[in-house]
Order: sequence, then structure tokens, then C-alpha cells
Amino acid sequence: MPERKASDRIRNLSLCVLALLAFALLMFPLYWMVVTSLKTEIEIFKVPPTLVPQVLNTDSYFAQLKHGDFNMFQSFKNSFAISSCVMLICLVLAIPASYGIARFRFKGKRLFILSFLVTQMLPVSVLLTPMFIIFKNARLLNTQLSAILADATIGIPFSVLILIGYFASIPKELEDASRIDGCNRFSAFLLIFLPIASPGVIVCTVFSFLYGWGDLAYGMTFLQDQAMRPITAGIFNFMGQYGTKWSYLTAFAVVTIIPVIAIFVFMQKYIISGLTSGAVKG
Amino acid sequence: MKKWLAIAIVTLAACAVFTGGAFAQSKKTVTIWNYWETPKHQETLARICKDFNASQGKVEVVTKYIPFADFKKQLSIGAAASELPDIVIIDNPDHASYAGMGIFADITDKLASWPDLKQYFAGPLNSCKLDGRLYGIPFGSNCLSLYYNEDMLKAAGVKPPKTWDELKSVALKTTKGNVHGFGISAVQNEEGTFGFLCWLWGSGNTSFQINNPNGIRALALMRDLVKSGAMPKEVINWTQGDTMNQFISGNLAMMVNGPWQVPTMRAQAPNLKWNVVTLPVGAKAASDLGGENFGVVKGDKVDEAVAFLKFAASPAEMKTYINDFGYIASRKDVADGQFANDAVMKVFSAQMASAQPRGPHPRWPEISDALSLAMNESLTGIATPEAAAAKAQKTIDAIVK
Amino acid sequence: MNRIKRFFGQGNIGYLFVLPAAIYMLLLVGYPIISNFILSFQDVTVMTLNKPHKPFIGIRNYRTLLGDGVLLPSLVNTFVFTVCCIALQFIIGFALALFLGRDFSIARPIRGLLMIPWMIPMTVTALMFKFMFSSNVGILNQFLQACGLIGQPIEWLLQPRLAMLSLIVANTWIGIPFNMILISTGLTTIPPELLEAASIDGANRRQSFFHITLPMLKSVIESVLILGFIYTFKVFDLVFVMTNGGPVNSTHLLSTYSYKLSFTLFKYSQGAATANILFLILFVVSIAYLKFVYDDKETD
Repeated sequence: MPERKASDRIRNLSLCVLALLAFALLMFPLYWMVVTSLKTEIEIFKVPPTLVPQVLNTDSYFAQLKHGDFNMFQSFKNSFAISSCVMLICLVLAIPASYGIARFRFKGKRLFILSFLVTQMLPVSVLLTPMFIIFKNARLLNTQLSAILADATIGIPFSVLILIGYFASIPKELEDASRIDGCNRFSAFLLIFLPIASPGVIVCTVFSFLYGWGDLAYGMTFLQDQAMRPITAGIFNFMGQYGTKWSYLTAFAVVTIIPVIAIFVFMQKYIISGLTSGAVKG
Repeated sequence: MKKWLAIAIVTLAACAVFTGGAFAQSKKTVTIWNYWETPKHQETLARICKDFNASQGKVEVVTKYIPFADFKKQLSIGAAASELPDIVIIDNPDHASYAGMGIFADITDKLASWPDLKQYFAGPLNSCKLDGRLYGIPFGSNCLSLYYNEDMLKAAGVKPPKTWDELKSVALKTTKGNVHGFGISAVQNEEGTFGFLCWLWGSGNTSFQINNPNGIRALALMRDLVKSGAMPKEVINWTQGDTMNQFISGNLAMMVNGPWQVPTMRAQAPNLKWNVVTLPVGAKAASDLGGENFGVVKGDKVDEAVAFLKFAASPAEMKTYINDFGYIASRKDVADGQFANDAVMKVFSAQMASAQPRGPHPRWPEISDALSLAMNESLTGIATPEAAAAKAQKTIDAIVK
Repeated sequence: MNRIKRFFGQGNIGYLFVLPAAIYMLLLVGYPIISNFILSFQDVTVMTLNKPHKPFIGIRNYRTLLGDGVLLPSLVNTFVFTVCCIALQFIIGFALALFLGRDFSIARPIRGLLMIPWMIPMTVTALMFKFMFSSNVGILNQFLQACGLIGQPIEWLLQPRLAMLSLIVANTWIGIPFNMILISTGLTTIPPELLEAASIDGANRRQSFFHITLPMLKSVIESVLILGFIYTFKVFDLVFVMTNGGPVNSTHLLSTYSYKLSFTLFKYSQGAATANILFLILFVVSIAYLKFVYDDKETD
């Protein structure tokens, strides 16, 4: 490796410092949340504020376990169950749909794409009341299935649109070759297309999970039992109950973002490709 | 034909199995919705139900907690979807709204021969009525009074205020550094309306009048307290619980709050020296009647629900729980001598004499919204009391007239 | 049965793949849109909710809303919020993309980590910013006071304009990564030779940015701005949790106002009408987006 010139090193170093400064500024809110959750209530109100907790206080995390008036770990499990199911439904429905749109010619194709696009952009308030009545008639109200079915309506159009790109980019020659090898369309789909599109499938998995995890409106409206509600609804309710008890509130928030951070750590490249392939053409 | 009959029977049997043998069970289940979040309230309510379930063999009463922020929403969507419980423990001003919506059963005739009805105070009982018909009975009542920090008032050399003018001056004199003299809950929702109405009524108005010199005086009182610095503007974000927390943390010298805070305050701040007096008087003494009612929901379990109500409302049973709730009994025979040994609760008891129910009006949520908006507008200085009052009156008139 | 077989056999087999998802969306999204549309022309409030006959009142709900003094400000708020957020997100995101697109050792990991704000549930973001912007305990005021920039605490969430500003800041924080990543990706598609050639021809940085980078990114920028508009215009959770439209209705967006009408005031029809206005605006923009992005893809 050729030795770098000194001026290059200085340039590199100064850019790094600058980048770290920007990074610190943008990430400060998250840092502040974590730190606050580890402070005592008295220290939170201290002037001037302390940047690092002087006394480490993990009480905010365990108080809820002890008192049991509201258990954030239960709602964590609920969110996990709901988001996982949302993910499954999205995949099962979106993979075939996008394959169909990308690889077949049929009437009304544009209309399908248009409808998926429009539904992705719908505000929740349009859907809340009518959905509630549907779920009531289906006897699904106050079961987690209602939140799951509703949340999946965000993930499906997103996944379809992402996967169309992946399926469409597979060259036709490959498909023809598989035909010659005696595959029918279904086995071609399973053996050739799905493996090639697997990065796209992972993107959809991650995003539909995140959509389920982030939802507040549906979980809060369709589920009445506190014991069944997702963690976002739990936080919201907690804010009403504990008002300005910031140590508790921030602890709750930290627990909520743990899976998000985990997903980020392991799935970073898929998230970025999901974002870009969803929006950038060509 | 025989074959079809057999299939039908098998199907029915299967259904019976899948519905958990509901056909075989003779006990009827009665569900109660409530929004009490503190464990103490939950335990006590569960105990009342247990007492009732043990007292007879036909009805099983179960409770279900729904957070307050969601309660009305669940109730009204539930009504749209006919997904309702059998009994609702409801905030008293909402009782008429939901009766108007048609979700509550008219139980006037079922209670006509019930002798205990005469024992109820008129205010709470009226909140269960719409057009003279009865849709439930009161559970228990509370009201707002003035809490004050004894040390802070002593240090400032003042006594608890008795009039609005005294309130302004005492609040100002006790404001020092981080300590504000006075605080209320003024959030822009039903809770804030609750905190404001005692001043509106104290000025001599009803719930439906605000655009007159009285109403403007009440709004101006809120504005003046904030303007002088005696009340923090943040009260527009404070719930009653927040206000209580500020008070026991020593950030407030006085606050308006209800008796349900007393058990918590005694537990959390045993060393704080505080006391309660009746609210400062404007044109007349006034306070908010708070508290809940039992509403009986229309359906096939009205009789069972009424049986439970009669049980829970009986003097013997009521005496076992009403103090634990920090509530004042809505019936005279229980309320008399309820707080013989509790000076603080006695003040609330005395305040009850001037406590009025909100509304009642079938469209109370909209009226309430207009009132709390007007209070917020003049409190934050976004509008003058005059402008805020005029706007609110326009909204209210459109609803009431 | 045979007819069905023939239908799917003749190149219509694509339907088989698409229909499950399409039916699902039709039931859970298509039907609600229509039922919401009908609701907005009826008079459904607490009083009429349970009556079998729902009176049809034409466009009266829309008329009432236009005169209620909150809808129009909410509409204006929604546009102000959206435009400010997009402008800030775009400029900061673009700057970061350019900066982190340069070649230095920690550029890539930092760019990755900056994605996190975009992934966090909005409920949490709202809580976090509510805490930081609170007048008495908020770190922002404490910081400004410590620096001697302000004497009295600023009432961020207690004054209409400032509350709106706080919401914009919070939402911009969420949107920066989105803009940054899309533009970063766009930047990598510009052949480096092009920029090199320009610099050999004597173009300075500014010139090559305006004459090469920007034009090359045209389609990416279109996508980013339109998608940003759509995502921002319908934001609900953030405002609902952070200010819930307050103080005094000054920060309501169409989404939160519609929710308030339906679920706090129980004027279902007016809530539906407000949601429809929001939907119509989004619909028009979505079509525009579709034209931009999918038009030329379809031609092949």
C-alpha cells in the first residue's frame, strides 16, 4: 500500500472530525433519551443539566415490573407478535402479486400498480372508522388479528412496488432458458425468480416489520385490552398516566427502539436498498 | 331431509362446543367498563363484584379496564359496532350524551319502587337523567377545592384566599423563584373544562353562557394569573395528576384539585404540610361536581345489571368502598358522617353543597371543547377574554339553540 | 369451470398472482375509502350514529367545516408544515449526501448510522422532542440559557408559531436520512469521468454542481420531493403525540383535526369530510408521482 501524503491524512482527519460533529448533533436526541432514562427524577430537573448520569438509576426500567400497574414488557411482546404476523401476511400476498405484475401481460396492469401506489399514500384517518366496523362484523375486534390485518395494508403496497422492480429486472432469457429446461411457470417462479429476488424479499420483510412496529393509530383503536395493545399505544397511554415523569417515559421509549436498533445493526444494507429502490427509478 | 337435519344438528352441536358451551351455562355474564387506572381503585371495584357474585348464583359480574383517554372513543365506536358492555362507569357529564345517543336503557320504571332513590343528592342524580328519564345511578361524587402549602403561605404572611381578588394577591405573594403561587389543570379537553367551570359558574353564569361580563371576568381571572406570573403558562399541558405532582414537589403554593388525590398525596409526601379550603368565591360559591355514574346499557341483561346496581348502591356495601376511592357518597345516609375523623375530606364534603354537574347536554363534548378552547385562548394571550368569549358563545349557541 | 380455466390459460394467468393481494386491499382499503366518502355526505354524529336511517345532507359538512375556523387554518398548517419540512430535509439531506459522498474513512458507517432516526416509531420521536422542547426542563432551553443566548425560557410548545416550529424540527429530524440516502444513491450514478472532464475544462466546484450534478439528479430529486410531500402531508402520530393540535388548535393538521372531529367530538361525518379533503390532495399528488416515475417504465 502506497504511503499517503501528509496533506491527504490531514484532509481525511478534518473531514472525519466534521462528520463526527454532524453525527453527534443529529444523534443527540437519542443520546439524551437514553441518558435521561438512567437518571433519577431529581437529577433530570437539575440546572445545569448533567450530560452523564451522576447516579446510575435503572429503577425506571424495573419499577413497572415491580408495581405491575403497567407492564411494558408485555406490550413489547404484543408488538413483536403483531409485527411478525404483519410481516408474514405482507410476504405471502406481495410476492406473488409483484411477480404477476412484473412478468405477465394482462389488462388493467396499470390500474393495479396505480391502486397499490395510492393505497400506500393513504392517511390513516380515512380508514379508521370503516375498518372498525369491518372488524366488528368479522368478530375480530379486540383481537390482535385486527391490528395485524390493518397494519398489513401499509406493508403490502410497499412490498409489491419494491418487488416489481426486482422481478422486472430479471432478464427474459433466463426465464426462457428455464422453460427449455422443462420448468413450468410456477416452478420457474419458485426455483429461479424467488432466489434472485431474495434481497428484495428481505427488504420487504424488514419494512413490513417496521411498519407494524411503528403503528399507533390502529393498535390504539382496534384493541381495547391494555394487555393486548402494542408498545406504541402503551407509551401513549403511559404519557397520559405519568404526565411529566420523564425517567419512566424515556425508559419506555428506549425499550421500544431496541428492536429497531437490532434490525438496523443486522439489516442496514437492506434498509438502504429498500429506501432507494422504492423511490429512485432506473 | 333426514340427512340435512342430521348435518344441522351436528353443526349446531359443534357451534355450541366452539362457543365455549355458552348454551349449557346458566349464569349470565355482566361486563362493566371502567377507566380507573390506579391499582387501589381496580382492586376495590373487583372486590365489589366479588361480593355481588358471592351473594347470588345467577349472574357473574366481570370488570374491564379501558384507559380514560380512549374511553369515550371506545364507547362511541362500540356503539356504532354494537360492541358494548352491560354496565358502563361513566364520567357524569357524558351520561346524557350517551343516553341521547341511545346506548343506555331507560330504567326509570325499574327503579320506581326502589326506596333508596330518595336518598340521592339531586346534583349527582340529575346527571343520570335525560328529559326527566333515568338512565343509571350515581356511583360516587367528588368536587374541586383549593389545596395550599401551609409553610409557603405562612412564609409569605398570608392566609388562604377567600375571594378572587385575594386569590390573585396571595398567588402573587407566594410566587418566588421556581415556585409559582397557583396552578390548575388547564389542558384543552374535558379535564381542562372541568378545571375552568368552577370559575365560570362562580362568576354567576351557567355552563352555556360565557359571552357576558361574568364570563369575561372568569376568563380574565385566568389571564391575569398567568400575566402576573403567579400561574405558569404550562398549566395548559398539565393534567390533574401533573398539577398534584408539581404541588407535592414544592413547585406550587396553591392548586385546585379533587379529593381523589388525597390518598396519593398522603402516601407520597408524608412530610409536606398542606391543607384544603373551599374555593375562593367570585359572585357566588361554586365548584365542579365530578365523579362517575353507573350507566346501564340497552340489551338483554338490563335486569341483571339493575340487580347489581342495587347491590353496589346499598348503604352496607357502599360503606365498604367509598372511602377507598377518595369519593364522597352520592346518597345522604352514607355521606352523613362519612368523614367524621378526616378534616381534609370534611372540606370537600362541605364544598359539595356548591358543586354543580357539567352540562348536562347530549352534545356536551362539543360545548366542553368550546369552553376549554376559550380558556386556553385567553390564558395564553392568543385572544382577549372578550374575543374568546364571543367565539365560544357562537359555537355553544349553535349547539344549544 | 372450463371457462375459468380458459380465461387464466390465455395469458391472463397474471391475475391469479395479483388477485389475493388485490382482494385483500380492496376489502380493507377500497371499501373504507368508499364508505368514508359516503359518510362525508351524511349527517352522522353522536345523535344519529345508531339510527338506521342516516340523513343525506349533500355538501353541508364541507360547508360547515369551511366556516368553522379550524379547518382552513389546519389546511394552511398542513401545507406550511409540509413545505417547511421538505425544504429543510432536502437541503440538509443534500448537504449531508454531498459531504458524506466524499472519500474519507468514516463516511460510510456514519451515513449508515444516520438512518436510525428514520426507522424509529414516530410515537417515540414525538415523546423525545416533547421532552427536549419543554419550557422548564427541556434541554434546549437549558442550553440556550447556559450560552446566555436567552434570558427567559422560550415557550416552545406553548405558543402557536413556536409549537409549529418545534413540530417541523422534529419531523425534519425524521426526514433527513430519507433525503440523504436517496440523494447519495443518485450521486453514485453520476459517472465520475463527467465531473473530472468538467474540472479539466476549468469548471469550478460550484459550476460543476449546478451544471452537472443537479441536472443529472433531476429524476431523483423529483422522486424525493414528491415522496417527501406524500409522507409529510399525512403525518399523524407525531403531531397527535407531541401537541395534539394545541395550543388552542394552532398546530392541527388535516390528519389530526379529522381524528379530533371523529373521535373526540364524535362528528363522524365532518371527520370523514376532513379526511377526504386530505385524501383528495394526496391522490392528485400520487398521480403526479406515478406519471414521473412509472410512465417511461411502462413504455417498454
